[in-house]
Amino acid sequence: MTRALETESHDTATEHTAASRSEEAEQSRLDEIFTFQELARLDEALTMSSRETGLRFTLYIGDLGKRTRVQAEEMHARSGAHPADSVLIAVSPGQKVVEVVTGAGASRRLPDRACALAVLSMTTSFANGDLVGGIINGLRQLSDQAGHPASLRRH
Amino acid sequence: MNTVEVLLVLVGIPLAVIAVLALLTLPGGRKRTRYKPGQPWDHAPVWYEPHPEHPVDTGHGPAPSSGPAAVPGASTAALGSSVYPEQPGERNTDSQDGAGPAAGQGASAHGASVAPRRVDAGPLGGARGTW
Repeated sequence: MTRALETESHDTATEHTAASRSEEAEQSRLDEIFTFQELARLDEALTMSSRETGLRFTLYIGDLGKRTRVQAEEMHARSGAHPADSVLIAVSPGQKVVEVVTGAGASRRLPDRACALAVLSMTTSFANGDLVGGIINGLRQLSDQAGHPASLRRH
Repeated sequence: MNTVEVLLVLVGIPLAVIAVLALLTLPGGRKRTRYKPGQPWDHAPVWYEPHPEHPVDTGHGPAPSSGPAAVPGASTAALGSSVYPEQPGERNTDSQDGAGPAAGQGASAHGASVAPRRVDAGPLGGARGTW
């Protein structure tokens, strides 16, 4: 498999210069959790569902604390400039919890019933150990439900 | 056939075949452990966000950068970032605070220098699930 950042650094960096791109990649280990292929799928799913629907989908993967709903809503409020039109999918694999938070504008197009259905299909995949597949299926269901508003149609 | 030849044919060849098959099938140096339900999750939190939509679609050519290297308000990107545009949030897999990564990246991608601040989103909806 071809790795996206499989290059060695040939620059003439000193200790005063910033790290080069390839060195950054080695240090930060971008593919620690997911492979580059899975990251690309996640990236495409997030970007395409956001462009299709006009809502802003973001995905959080990590611990959600004891009060998962409260923390997810707090993060949703900080997720960008217009949280009313954004949707946060927060997955905590350690706690085996997934939270979907929709803002006021987004929840008009994504009723709680639709979110619950998407969450159900996500948890089915998660229980089989398929994190990426579940997330992508959930995103697909959510964006299908939200639809493509006429104001976004250009052609 | 003397004893050595018998041993070579009847033991050596099967062992060689087994070794070749094992080399072909056993995963070597697999560092990433696949998630299994019930395992603790000891990775740093990550927050992925979509690429911002660019009004000017260049079609072919290098992908427009959405990272901090991009010039705000223009589709110009720094040379270093043109081939592999920075994925917001991916850089910060080592970041320790959970609320930080993507919002900070997003803010810098749009040229604003604000920390992620709380914006009221009205009555929230959504769903919750466990597995």
